[in-house]
Amino acid sequence: MNDLKIVLFICNWGPHAAFQMLQDSCRHMPHQVRMIRIPCSGRMSRALLFKAFETGADGVALVGCEPGSCRYGSGTGIAERNVQDTRGILELLGLGKDRLRLATFLPEQSEALLEFLQQFHADVERMGKSPVIPVPKTQPGESGRDLAARILTSHDIYACQDCGKCSSACPMSLCGKPFSPRAMAGSIIGGNIGSASVVSDVWSCLTCGICYDRCPSAVDFPRFIRDMRQVHRRAGTAGQEAHEGFFQALMRTMTSPDLDIRHWDWLPEDIQVDGQSKTLFFGGCAPYFDTFFGRTLGVKTCDILIDSLRLLNFFDIFPALLPGERCCGHDLLWTGDRDSFIRLARLNVDAIEERGIEEVVTSCPECYRTLAIDYPEHGIPISFKVTHIFDLAEKEIDKGAIGFEKLNRTLTFQDPCRLARLGGPGELPRKLISRLKPRGFEEMRDRGNSALCCGNCAWTGCDSYTKALQVKRLRQARETGSNLLVTACPKCQIHLRCAMEDPFLGDEIRMEMMDLTSIVARTIRWE
Amino acid sequence: MNRKTEPASPKEILITGFGGQGIVLAGQIVGKAASLLDKKESTLTQSYGPEARGGACSAQVIISDRTIHYPYVRRPDILVCMSQGGYDRFADTLKGDGTLIIDQDLVQPAAARGSGFFAIPATRIAEELGRRMMANIVILGFFTSVTEAVTADAMRRTVSESVPRGTGEANIGAFNKGYEFGLATLKGRQKKAEGKKGVR
Repeated sequence: MNDLKIVLFICNWGPHAAFQMLQDSCRHMPHQVRMIRIPCSGRMSRALLFKAFETGADGVALVGCEPGSCRYGSGTGIAERNVQDTRGILELLGLGKDRLRLATFLPEQSEALLEFLQQFHADVERMGKSPVIPVPKTQPGESGRDLAARILTSHDIYACQDCGKCSSACPMSLCGKPFSPRAMAGSIIGGNIGSASVVSDVWSCLTCGICYDRCPSAVDFPRFIRDMRQVHRRAGTAGQEAHEGFFQALMRTMTSPDLDIRHWDWLPEDIQVDGQSKTLFFGGCAPYFDTFFGRTLGVKTCDILIDSLRLLNFFDIFPALLPGERCCGHDLLWTGDRDSFIRLARLNVDAIEERGIEEVVTSCPECYRTLAIDYPEHGIPISFKVTHIFDLAEKEIDKGAIGFEKLNRTLTFQDPCRLARLGGPGELPRKLISRLKPRGFEEMRDRGNSALCCGNCAWTGCDSYTKALQVKRLRQARETGSNLLVTACPKCQIHLRCAMEDPFLGDEIRMEMMDLTSIVARTIRWE
Repeated sequence: MNRKTEPASPKEILITGFGGQGIVLAGQIVGKAASLLDKKESTLTQSYGPEARGGACSAQVIISDRTIHYPYVRRPDILVCMSQGGYDRFADTLKGDGTLIIDQDLVQPAAARGSGFFAIPATRIAEELGRRMMANIVILGFFTSVTEAVTADAMRRTVSESVPRGTGEANIGAFNKGYEFGLATLKGRQKKAEGKKGVR
């Protein structure tokens, strides 16, 4: 069974004829190659290409039509882009970009196709088996009903008084979505775990936590939803994963212990790190985000990591980095894949503790919450302290002799849910902003505890309602008259930038964005 | 910077401010820390007006490795000013290479000063810490880190022994705040000298 697994996705139109020609003339093809016929190479999304690797492929070849000969016109061009992005991801994961290859052939080029297949087979053989161990499908151990009953009790959902404060504050309801936290809670209490409306509601909640903030009985709705998603995942009622589940697949892939991840290879040279340091900087998934969204949205979330590290260097802190840093697992946990989350958490905690790290600094609110709160809560104790970079910066700046350069912009601030309401240092961003020297700072109508979510969480439930929410939020930001939207989470940037792509609203909601860490790092000065 | 070199001759320190700011107490703490804990010689003389509060007041401390024969400060090596009046009166007596320390919100220095000039918003920091009257302790912390005339440990112990009972912890917090501020100031100066202003 140690045979290589090479998947050949081949376009129905041009190259498939060449492939058939090889079959008809009984030409010897490497038997490890499994051919899958597809309608067009451009229809192979990045998620589909990546899923092959997640499920154990050692090599994937996408074979399409020669540029210009595509039946649908743009297929080959799209395939090129998809393959390039996915190769970038494979490179970051340490699998090597050469495990995925794109080639194009005309129907009569059967010899060239054979040569390509043989060459690719030889190349994959040289690279060896992929270190990815496919994650087994979750076994439905405890029955869904029992698990749901346990979740209802442990989060004390019965305390819900049906008062409706949650529905009147829920940003999804306010955007017109037929969605009510208390109605869902009522249905689940009533035993309708698997009904279509409950499933849909469970997967469309943003887990932003406004309802929890407002609830007079302190029903912890976000945690309840998080755990209910486990029930549904086990029952096979799949979530509404955005980007076709690309990110969940990516994170599940990272649970393979033998991956030689290269998370930091792209770091600029002027940044000083120290492998012996007892302080570790945990970056988060920004390099993956930039590879995936860079082309379409132009986001540069890696800048947040670079600026964080430069800021640490400014304070004479030279942190260690985990070269093989994995995702913290936030999005897996919040889409119901607890088992994979725990595997990731173990790998991360082991890697951190192996280095004798005493303090982990992070600039990502989700990493912060996950490391500090969710790891211990899920039975993975941590021996290190987790510090958000805002906390560290505030303490260093407060020592004195540090000032800020003038910034000729008017700012407004998008609170990330995980900082403002769900466990993070909520007041710190504003304290830091008050230290800056911008031309002005204007708060949005909904802010702090009441801030509106950027519209998505854990790569699930992206639809027209979340889009409406994002547009609403951006309108609030524009209303302030500010010209720089300050964010504190890479995902806020991605989601809001995506909403700005709307071709009809265009300039009405467009706004420049920058992470608070970047602003601090770029204007901080010794006095 | 002259602060690195061990004082060959006695170090004369003048602390000035309003009555009520704790100027004399600050002088006492410096002198006690130097003599009782750092095992040096020190003297303290104080001058204050008849007013309990508001009048000009000063404390003169001399720290030396040898016996001190004359306890009055004529040309201070270190001048700490917590009021404009004190500054106006004593600024000219400061030695050419002396160190001037001011509360930047209370004192407007006459001209730009060089490497021997240090400023801290001591009263503002003390207010942020909850007690305005700790400004003297804040400035002592700052004084300790920028001048190194006395050791920080000796100062901390003396501070906690000298302040009213029950306020020790708060005062040590204030001292540390000023001390950190001093270290940060020195670090900032060093960075600037190396040509590093911002993150790059």
